Order: sequence, then C-alpha cells, then structure tokens
Amino acid sequence: MLIGPFYVAHAIIVLMLALIIVPLATIPRKLSYAAFLASSALLALILLLSIYAFLAGVDVTVFTIFHLYSFSEFFLGLFAFALLLINALSYEHYPNFTRFLLFFSFAIVGMFVVAMANSLVTILLGLELMTLPTAFMIMTSGRHHIEAAVKLFILSAIAIGALSFAIALLFPYDLQLTLSPVSAISLFTGATAASGNYLLILSIILVAAAMGFEVAAFPFNLWVPDVYQGAPGNVTALLAGINKKVAFVALMEIFFVVFIQFKPIFSPILVLLSIATMFYGNILALVQTNVKRLLAYSSISQAGYILIGLAVATQFGIEASILQIVAHLFMVIGAFAIVLWLESNNLRTLDDYNALGSRNRFAAISLAILMLSMAGVPPLIGFIGKFLVFSSAIDSQTLLYLAVFGIINSFISIYYYAKVIDRMYSGKSHDMLAMGKYTYAVVVIALAATILLGLYPGPLISAATVASKALLAI
Amino acid sequence: MTILIGLMLLVSALASVFILALDSKLSKRLAIAGSGIVLAIAILILVSSLLQGSLSMNESYPYINAFNISLQLQMTPINFILVLMTAIVAFAAILSGNPERAGVKTANTLIMLFEFSAIGLFTSANLFIFFIFWDIGVIALFFMINVLGSANRRYASIKFIIYEIFASSLLLLGIMMIYFYTPVHSFNISSITAAASSIPQSTQELIFILLFAAFAVNMPLFPVHFWLPDAHTEASTQGSMLLSGVLTKFGAYGMLLIFTMLPIANKLAVPIAVLAGFSTIYAAFVTMMQHDIKRVIAYTTIIDMGIILVAIAAMNAFGTYGAVYAMFAHGVTIALMFLSVGCLHHIFGSRDMKVVKGVVSKAASTGYSFIMGVFGITGVPLTAGFIADVLIFIGAIQAFGLAGALPLVGLLMIGAFFYLVVNRSFMMTKDPSQPIEYIGMEEKAGYAILMGSMLLFGIFPFLLLGFSNL
Repeated sequence: MLIGPFYVAHAIIVLMLALIIVPLATIPRKLSYAAFLASSALLALILLLSIYAFLAGVDVTVFTIFHLYSFSEFFLGLFAFALLLINALSYEHYPNFTRFLLFFSFAIVGMFVVAMANSLVTILLGLELMTLPTAFMIMTSGRHHIEAAVKLFILSAIAIGALSFAIALLFPYDLQLTLSPVSAISLFTGATAASGNYLLILSIILVAAAMGFEVAAFPFNLWVPDVYQGAPGNVTALLAGINKKVAFVALMEIFFVVFIQFKPIFSPILVLLSIATMFYGNILALVQTNVKRLLAYSSISQAGYILIGLAVATQFGIEASILQIVAHLFMVIGAFAIVLWLESNNLRTLDDYNALGSRNRFAAISLAILMLSMAGVPPLIGFIGKFLVFSSAIDSQTLLYLAVFGIINSFISIYYYAKVIDRMYSGKSHDMLAMGKYTYAVVVIALAATILLGLYPGPLISAATVASKALLAI
Repeated sequence: MTILIGLMLLVSALASVFILALDSKLSKRLAIAGSGIVLAIAILILVSSLLQGSLSMNESYPYINAFNISLQLQMTPINFILVLMTAIVAFAAILSGNPERAGVKTANTLIMLFEFSAIGLFTSANLFIFFIFWDIGVIALFFMINVLGSANRRYASIKFIIYEIFASSLLLLGIMMIYFYTPVHSFNISSITAAASSIPQSTQELIFILLFAAFAVNMPLFPVHFWLPDAHTEASTQGSMLLSGVLTKFGAYGMLLIFTMLPIANKLAVPIAVLAGFSTIYAAFVTMMQHDIKRVIAYTTIIDMGIILVAIAAMNAFGTYGAVYAMFAHGVTIALMFLSVGCLHHIFGSRDMKVVKGVVSKAASTGYSFIMGVFGITGVPLTAGFIADVLIFIGAIQAFGLAGALPLVGLLMIGAFFYLVVNRSFMMTKDPSQPIEYIGMEEKAGYAILMGSMLLFGIFPFLLLGFSNL
C-alpha cells in the first residue's frame, strides 16, 4: 500500500477541517474565486483519497468516533463528487460566494461526519451539523426563503430531538453507543425478551420517525415542497441531492448495524413508510404546476423507491438502494441545475416551460433525458436503480407486493414527467436563452453519469456490492 | 460467432448520435447511409443463408457482469424476417417519408434510434435486453409523435406513452418474476424455455397474464387499443410508418416468445384465439365508420394484428411461420400505405375520403401505390400478404378446425370497404378546383422499395422460408 490507512483517514479529516478555514480566510478580502478554487480543490482531494481508500480496502477506526471502511469510503467519494457539482452551481449563482461557503463548508463537514460515523452520537452530531447551516443557506436568497428556512429549522430540530431520545433509550443496552449490533439484553436489569422490550421498540420507532423527517418519508414530509420551492435552486439541489442521501446513510448505519437483530420489527415500519411515500409523492406530483414543486414531489417518491430496498433488508436490497441513491443523486442535481438556471430567468411554472426546446436545445434534451431516467426508462441509470430495487423485493419472496406497488408508481410517474417534456416541445419561440458555463458543466456531468452509468453499470454495481457487504459485516 | 448483428446495432446507434451534430441536409445523407448499411447487412445475411441453406447466428457482448447479463443476440429465420422488415421500412421512411421536409434532423435521429431498438429487440436472446430495447423504441416514437406530429399531437403522444409505459411496467414485472421463479435464475430465453415447466402453475399463469397484457397493449388488441388510432393519425408520416410497421410487431414478437417459452400457453391458447378473432371483427366494423383515410389504415392494423395473434395461438409450424410472414408482409405493406397517404395529404391538403377525389389521374404514382397497398393488406395473390394469409389459415384450421377461418370475415369486410375507398377517392373523376403539389423522386423511390419488397417476397416466398425448417 502506497499510503498507510492511518494516514489516509487523518488526511481526510484534516482536509475537512481545512474546508472550514477556507471561507474564514477569504471573507474579509472578498476573494470569491479563490474560495471557489480552494474549496473545489479540497473536495477533489477528498474524492481522490476516498477512491484510493476504497480501492485499497482501507478499514481503520480513528479516535473511536470515525470509522473508515468500504461503505463510508463509497459515500465519502460520492458526496465529495456531488458536492463539487453543487459548489460550482453555487459559485455561479451567488455574487458573494464566500458568505455562502461559510455555511456550506460546515454542512459539508456534517455530511462527511455522518458518512464516517462510528457511533450514534457522531451521527447525531453530523446530522445537526448538516441541517442547521442548510437552514441558513436557504435564508441567503430565494422566494419565501424565510418561511422555508424556519420550517426546515423547526422540523429538523424536532427530528434531532426524537433521534437524541432514541439514542438515550438505547443507553441501557449499549453503554458505548458505538455502531455495533445491540442485543436485547439490558445491561442494567438483565431483561431479555425482545417482544417485551418496549424501550428498544420505542427507540426503533423514534429512529424511524426522525429518519422519516430527514429522508422525507410520508407522513413526515409535509415540509418538503415548501422548503424546496422557497429555497434558492442550488440549495434545493443540495437538499434533494445530498442531504437526503446523507440521511439515508445514517438510516442504513443505524438500522443495519445497530438494530440488525431486530429486522422483524423495523422492516414492516420501512415497508409502510415506503408504500405511503411512493404514492404520496407521485399522486401529488400529478397536479403540480410549479416545476420545482413537481420535482420536490418526484424526489419524495424516489425516496419511497429507495426505502423499498431498505425494507427488504437483505444485502441485495441494500445494494439496490445504494444504486438508487446514486442514480437519484445525479438525476436530481442535473435537473435542479437546469431548474435553477431557468428560475434565474424567471421561468417557474409549467407554462413558462413552453417552447423551451426551441429556446435552448441542449437544456430541453438534457431535462428530458433526466426526467425519463427518473421515470425509470432504460437504458438510463434510473432504470438500473429501480430494476434492482424491485428485483430485491421479488427476490425476498415475501415482499413481492412492494415490487408491484413500485411498478404501479413508476407507471403513474410517467404522466407528469411526460407532461414536462411535452411542454418543452410545444410551440416555437425565437427568444433564445443562454446557459452559464458552470451550470452547463454541471448538467453535462450529471447527464453523462446518467447515461454512461446506465449503459455500463457494472463497476458501479460491484462497488455497491462491496459497500453493502462491508456495512453488514460490522 | 459473427459480428453482423452487433454491427447493425452499432451503425444505427452511431448514426443516431452523429446526426445530431450535422445540419439537416447532411443529416439526411448520413441517415440514408446508416440505414442503407443496415439494410445491406440484412441482405448480405439473406444471401449467405440462402447459399448455406440455414441461418443461425449467436453473438454475445459483455454488459452487466455483476448479474451475469450480457448483450446476447441471436438470429434465427424468425428473427431475421423481422429484422429485414425493420431495415426495409426504416430505410424507406428515411428516404421518402417526409414530403413536407419538416424537422428533418430530429426525425432522422429518432428513426435511427428506433431502428437500433427494433433490431436489438427482434434479435435479443435475453429478456432483460429485450425490455431495454422495448423502452428505447417506445420513447423514440413518443418523441416522434410529440415533436413532429400534427395538430393534436400532444394529446395523442401523452396517451401513447401512458398506454405503452403501462405495458412496459407489466412487462418488467413479468420479466423479473420469470427471473426469480425459474430455478436457473437467468434472463436467457432458451434457458428459461428449458426450465419454465418447473415454475408452479399459478405463478406461471400470473406471469403469462402479465406479459400477455403488456403485449396486447402494444399489438394492440381489442380492449386496449385506444391509443392506436390517435397515435397513428397524429404522428408524422414517418412516425406512422414506424409505429404501425414496426412497433406493433414488438408485441406480436413478444406473443410469439411467451407462447413458445411458457408451457401454460397450451391451456390459454383457445380463449386467446377467441379474443383475437373478436378483436379482428370488432376492428373491421369500427374501420367502416371512418372517413379519414389515415384512420382507416390505422384501424386495419388492429385487424391484421388480431389475425397474427390467432396464428400464434395456433401453436404449430404453419401458424408460427404464417404469423412471422404476416408481420413482414404487414410491416412493409402498411408502411407503403402510410407513405402514400402521407403524400396524398401533402398533395391534396386533406385525407378525408369525401374531399379527396381523382387521385389516380392527378397523382398517379401515389394512387397506384395505395391501391397496391390495398392488394397487399387484403392478401391478393402475388403479394407477401397472400403467402402470409395462406400459411396462417392453414395453421389456424389445423389447430381450431374450421372456426379458425372465422377471422377471414374481418379481412373480407375490410377488403370490401377498401375497394369502396379506392373507388370513391382514387378512381372517381377529379375535382378541378383542388390545388395540387407534386412529390419528388425520393418519395417515388420509397414506393418502389416497399412495393418491390412486397411483391418480391410474395412471388418468391422461398427467399424467406427456404432456409427455415418449415
């Protein structure tokens, strides 16, 4: 091995801290471009290091609160890559980028902390560190941004409260609160029966509720459309593309490591959440006229698809969910990049999207492909994700109906995606729209990922297999 | 191990991408070259298999190694007949299907993309890639209708995509169930066929019904055919040629697959044949209510697809080859008819049989092409449709007794109605007040290609059936 595992882990942590220093150093002198370059470079370094660590199979625990292993390395790399895209989008969007970066860098650290967490407290800390700055980021600009920020702040505070309570309830069973399987034996009273162990069950339910807020599962997702619509587009892309995925990582870490012995208890909860979320998101998306709201509901339904794989709770199910997470991340960042750019040109509703095909050909084709991918049309990556998720449900033998519900939803969703595409190609207009170069680059990268990973998903699936096996091996 | 099928796919995919980068004139040349190469490869395969007296090609390219899915392609006589039909129709559509010269670049990209998907689908030896090609084809035609169609295209295209995605959802579910319920856990069609009898009866029935429903929507069959008239009428000429000529064959080919793959089909063959026969007669009655000529042709698709399904449900060699031959004949013939109606619309500005008069005297080539198409659809001897009908009804009578010949009634009715159309709009004296536009050589070349292949394979059926083991 070229670099020792110990150094890799420390290097990543140091780079994370350096990210926080970047805005502090650049704010007084308003060095936006320098801040952008520095933060991008740091993210790129983290990306490279995590790829290296993943390929080398690094498995190391740092300070007992961080654990760097295949699963966390996979998501570190994924988030770093996605954050590079968001960083570029934000730089183009804000005249004063450094002020944004001040909050953004903290949120980034929170995301990485969750991905590398080795204890429940670390997860709690990471989630808090991610969500609070996001609320501030929403406040920087956008329509109805104060309302959106306050909603996100209050609801995430409730979620964090529920999560802390759940962790506190676990204390009798695991004094260390590390990410390791808890057994039903209370260390204080010696009670053993899982069915009678109400503290544990309550803890599971509270975790499910808290995570339901974070991943926007029905019925905890009423904040999503308002916040997504109110926030500036790049923050919406961040929320939908990365924040929710971080919450999924936390969910996987808690359920599949800590509560792995209680699969019969948490699996039905996830099944219910998944079905309700898919139907809620898709049915409400049908009637939306604001594109951002439409995408918000669509990403709610996508969260439902991800939950299918987690509800199945097998290694294949987790692998499928990871793939769907990757798929949705790229699709939604690409789509919101286009929506953000159109929003800055005052195009918000479906009616505004009329004739987009003749106003900017590239944007229309890209948005059409991204939406088809979200609808699960092969050979795009959205199809691969959905295919694996539904396959995992059928493979489990008992949850066949989840696949049926998933496919029904996937069918419902084609209507509103086709509606957007239809709008873009209706009518002609000679009023051209030019796209900024960073937005263009982000869209190209998201589009390339959507198409290429869909055409040739082999390496990604292998990586997801490694990550899911590593998670279950703890 | 050959590379010819892969080459066809590669050429059409590359052409589809590169057309986007060119201007409309060059794009048409590239599209003609691309589809011409595909057609040339198909003819090469035809000639070489005629010389060898047999045809069996298998190709495999890596795809998703993690799940043991590879791009497995096969070419048996059945696959080949459909591929040849696709190549002919796509070439003719690119060459001639656009008398208005509107949206040339978009149209050519989408046609090449559709050709890619159709060839892939008809040659796939693997249900997973079958599904992938299916959806690519559907999406390509969705854009074809939505972007290039006529006035009511948006309604028609959304209706089309809803029906088709419904079908493909059922298809996906069925395919995944096959994968997980066969003991071998494979998508490969031949290994599923070998292992299918070990799937429990009830599961098999469920899978069969899912797939049958999916293919029935696509074919289309009586209760789920409502997308077809709108989609065909609103699509551009090229769109209708591909929709009716090739896309409906996706479902028919799928039917052929499930009937050979799942043993449960034996039990369900008779009810399905009854449904198909009813669909034929029903569509014949509906057709006679139409006065838009394009809509008339659209409805004849339902009639012919019903007959094809009767032949498939017969489950014997005559029925199967009759069905495949009918798919070929119908694809070529219906493309010819849609092409001539498209030109008719361009020439006269209308497709209403009450308005259009004297086509033969004013636009002779278009008029005669349409009449040849009518001959082909109704199965007049020397057209490919005749060979197909003979094979089909021998097979159907073998399987179902004389009742198997009942769908002929639908064909007869539609034949009679068509002669009325021809008499009214084509032969009757012209209306001198109608303005006239002329069509170019390219359209006439398209007529020649489609009419030529219709007659060639009608007069010399051994060209396609010679190397099969009928």
